[in-house]
Amino acid sequence: MRVSLRAALVLAAILLAIAPVLSGNAFYQRIAALVVLAAISASAWNVIGGYGGQVSFGHSVYFGIGGYAALLSFTKLGLPPIAGAPLGMLASLLLSAIVGLPSFRLRGHYFSMATIAIAALAELLVTNWGWAGGAIGLMGPATPRSPADLLFRSALPYYAIFLVVLAVLLALTWWMQRSRMGFYLRAISSGERAAESLGVPIRRTKLYALFLSGAFTALAGSLYAVMIGFIDPDSGFGILVSVNMVVMAALGGAGTLFGPLAGAIILVPLEETTNAVLGGGGSGAAYVAYGIIIMLLARFSPGGLAQWVPRPSAEKRVRRAA
Amino acid sequence: MSEALLRVSQLAVRYGDLVGVADVSFAVGEGEVVALLGANGAGKTTTLNALAGLVRPAGGEISWRGERIDGAPAHAIVARGIALSPEGWRLFVQQTVEQNLRLGAAALKERARFGPLLERVFSLFPRLAERRRQNAGTLSGGERQMLAVGRALMSDPKLLMLDEPSLGLAPAVVDAMYETLGQLRAEGLTLLIAEQSMELALEIADRAAVLQTGRTVLSGTAKEIAENPDLHRAYLGAAL
Repeated sequence: MRVSLRAALVLAAILLAIAPVLSGNAFYQRIAALVVLAAISASAWNVIGGYGGQVSFGHSVYFGIGGYAALLSFTKLGLPPIAGAPLGMLASLLLSAIVGLPSFRLRGHYFSMATIAIAALAELLVTNWGWAGGAIGLMGPATPRSPADLLFRSALPYYAIFLVVLAVLLALTWWMQRSRMGFYLRAISSGERAAESLGVPIRRTKLYALFLSGAFTALAGSLYAVMIGFIDPDSGFGILVSVNMVVMAALGGAGTLFGPLAGAIILVPLEETTNAVLGGGGSGAAYVAYGIIIMLLARFSPGGLAQWVPRPSAEKRVRRAA
Repeated sequence: MSEALLRVSQLAVRYGDLVGVADVSFAVGEGEVVALLGANGAGKTTTLNALAGLVRPAGGEISWRGERIDGAPAHAIVARGIALSPEGWRLFVQQTVEQNLRLGAAALKERARFGPLLERVFSLFPRLAERRRQNAGTLSGGERQMLAVGRALMSDPKLLMLDEPSLGLAPAVVDAMYETLGQLRAEGLTLLIAEQSMELALEIADRAAVLQTGRTVLSGTAKEIAENPDLHRAYLGAAL
């Protein structure tokens, strides 16, 4: 039973991975790339927000840093945008250390509020910072100067790149989940005070998780900027960028390895389809749907869809071990 | 008593404007059992939390083997050999008994010691061994208390602090728990027990300190305290 379930999952993953290639439809291919991109940032959020239970509503700050790092390296230094990705990741580590340590003193809702404030502050700063494009934002290269610019007509190459990044992130998360750090992180999530009293190094554990989470969110931001070729304060630092990550992870199942990916697979097509069908005037429709989804989740399935995936109960595990 | 393992002098803890404890002083010698007595709200839990590094003292001194430890983070304090079995157990109810015990060993430097420590806890509480793969949330009150104590023992402490080990438990379970504490004491473990029910605590303790509204109002040997007519008045809230 278990083996066949695993085989079915692997098969489904392969099918999902090659379906856009087979379809040959540009619209679907673009959606597939965006799904994987959203899954990267939601999975990155999941490290601290899901496993660690530190619900950040300000992860757009890392996304924005990554996006701006990419397009600033292009506009200011003439580098290919992707060259800005490591710089963005580095900056996100720095910000995590500066911002994370004081905000981790706050718990629960207070922590979430602090993260919102930080992201709002970043958006405001960038909007008023002419050198970084101000309210207008920044553009990427219009035509490819070299292959390193990663400018492709088709969405498929992006899809492939994003898939590799997502695989690396999920592998790292899987490894973390099984390591001492993941164990501590889950303990912090289910009882911070208790974990602290046992000698779990709370702040260090949360900080390392934020490093991983922030760096990959920044990478997602850079990849977004590379593919879209444009970033402005709203698409980089806006609150909806953060909300997207939270809702996707929550829908699929926060604190599970594949939950955020499942959330992205459901929500991104929904958003893209409503945008395509309703046009510019209906661009807010997806968020109405998000609101409804949040309410339904809170009422019926706080653990996300992962709650419905059968797992061996503790009792069964005991029986198997006996 | 100059060679006290733990010495608390004029400890004060504030929560914002609220005073948690105002002036608590006592000492614990190596191998001793000390009872921290007092009515609900006297400051016993706050004192233990300050000792464990969970709240920062606003004043006073805490020293461990002659070194100041007040203000040190909780993980540094556990690493020095002070463990707390908290009030209300604070178990990880979604995790198994064994995972809870594993978390108790978080501050342990050498991982090789985990196995022997686990065996020791299981021999002390065979019930936990039977339920090692069961979620902590499925345990009875008595088993939860065993798990809380066992988890604290997993850091191999020199001093074990217990916050209300008898709270909410059936009398027979409490007796069994105190029997185990007696066994730990015989093995040379130093114990600091915060209790509302003074008879039990005074039976096992060498010495005791009585708190009232955040201050130490009485301290001495367990016998002296038990015979002190002021003890009951302190519990009932009379000024001493």
